[in-house]
Amino acid sequence: MFGRMNRRYDVVVVGGGPAGLAAALGALDSGVSRVLVVEREPEPGGILRQCIHAGFGLHHFREELTGPEYAERFVTQAMDRDIDVAPHSYVTGLAVDSSGHRLVRVLSSRGGLATVECRSVVLAMGCRERTRGAVRIPGTRPAGIFTAGLAQKLLNLDGYLPGRRAVILGSGDIGLIMARRLTLEGCKVEGVFELMPYSNGLTRNVVQCLDDYGIPLHLSTTVTRIHGRDRIEAVTVAPVDEAGRPDAARAWDVPCDTLLLSIGLIPENELSESLGIALDVVTGGPKVDSTLATSLPGVFACGNVLHVHDLVDFVTEEALRAGRFAGEHARQIRRPRDAIALVPGANVRYCLPHTLSADRPHTVYMRAKTRMSPCILRVGNLLERKLRFVVPAEMIHLTIQPELLERFYEDRLQIDLLPVDGGGAP
Amino acid sequence: MTERQEQHYVCISCPIGCPLRLVHEGDQIIEIEGQECNRGAKYARQEFTDPRRTFSTTVPITGAVYGRLPVKLSAPVPRQAIPAAMAAIRLLCAEAPVRLGQVLLRDVAGVAGVDVVACRTMDRVMIAPS
Repeated sequence: MFGRMNRRYDVVVVGGGPAGLAAALGALDSGVSRVLVVEREPEPGGILRQCIHAGFGLHHFREELTGPEYAERFVTQAMDRDIDVAPHSYVTGLAVDSSGHRLVRVLSSRGGLATVECRSVVLAMGCRERTRGAVRIPGTRPAGIFTAGLAQKLLNLDGYLPGRRAVILGSGDIGLIMARRLTLEGCKVEGVFELMPYSNGLTRNVVQCLDDYGIPLHLSTTVTRIHGRDRIEAVTVAPVDEAGRPDAARAWDVPCDTLLLSIGLIPENELSESLGIALDVVTGGPKVDSTLATSLPGVFACGNVLHVHDLVDFVTEEALRAGRFAGEHARQIRRPRDAIALVPGANVRYCLPHTLSADRPHTVYMRAKTRMSPCILRVGNLLERKLRFVVPAEMIHLTIQPELLERFYEDRLQIDLLPVDGGGAP
Repeated sequence: MTERQEQHYVCISCPIGCPLRLVHEGDQIIEIEGQECNRGAKYARQEFTDPRRTFSTTVPITGAVYGRLPVKLSAPVPRQAIPAAMAAIRLLCAEAPVRLGQVLLRDVAGVAGVDVVACRTMDRVMIAPS
């Protein structure tokens, strides 16, 4: 029930976005009945509520939905299946008592500080955006500099137009979508500037968000200075060489009153860190075994807090799984420990989960370091698959069947992406 | 006799983004090439004859948890109809409660069969500072 919070649960989920809602539903599927979702916003749904564009659900629902529609399907299910949602609430800490129960400290604007007892916890806090500090843009510090997602929230949830004349740094999908959105609302978008020689967003978004509206995309170009005292007045942009060094001689100024930054996302793991959970330096999220359990017993992780996904459909899949394992854990069902470490090899930035077992099929998510086409995906000496096309912006997923792992007697399985003849490898 | 001309598109049907070349004489399509699958040919034909797009925006809403209601078009409109559709939607105003899929405006910008629909349910709430 929305707004209800009891003292005891089987599973407590931290975060009510797409990951948290799917984890809660996954926990119910595993046979537990008491599930609480702790959400800091006034309602569940997470970032999808502000992602009003279409493109969600093509994998999970086999139809194209907008973010709010995708979210509502899960919110409705959660309410129908009697999941409790505590809005305006934060989890501030977690302890384990002598009988092995987890004690979750929840701070809420209505109920103050409360302690909730449970058997399993699912971390689903999502991620946040990198800011100006992360890329160290020189210049003054005026108003008018927003992360793209913040501008999206201001525009789509609160109804404020962030400015009249915008420059967008970074060509990830959020940046491209915001370029179109601002244009539709009457803000002039001067251009999208991308440090890399290619767009980090989907081609379809470059076409439908920039080309359709005549917004220029400047590749291998970055913002090198911010001007303005109270409000941003202009940015200096400059082309960069292969090493990413800006060429000041060819720089030019672009007048603007708004700068949007779409320069990457970071899993939001302050809570995980305070609990001493082991993190992966590459993903920025917890290290997890094949049940998506973190290094802290009874604590699971899924969605963007685990690693940044590009499609919500994969978040849903992963979170349903994490919820099921968390529910099993709450029911005291124990699985054998994983015996195989899964490690990234050539051209693989990361792969998840960090360990595997031979007792069931595993879904493995991974990201390439570079653009390759075509290439061969090799999993140890167990499996080879030819891929037509890989890019860092698109997660690769793969199912490894237990039959393959049963005959694998080593303790370390490496995943490589190898070029094939004629391929565009680095 | 009309002259043979060509158009270039980037297919948006999937992430590969095939560069497409469409050769035509006036309205007559002569050939399409560059696609790796037949969705590319279909896309190029649609782009050449009647490029259509859809988009989402918001309308103001009173009595709900937030002040904006996300809306979308029920089907794509011709690309050049987007500004007119936006202008029509800008005049709308909703009042909670609104149901997901509720039609707020029919035949937007005169495009038959394309409606403006709510993308979410927004219940009526008592606005209380929390």
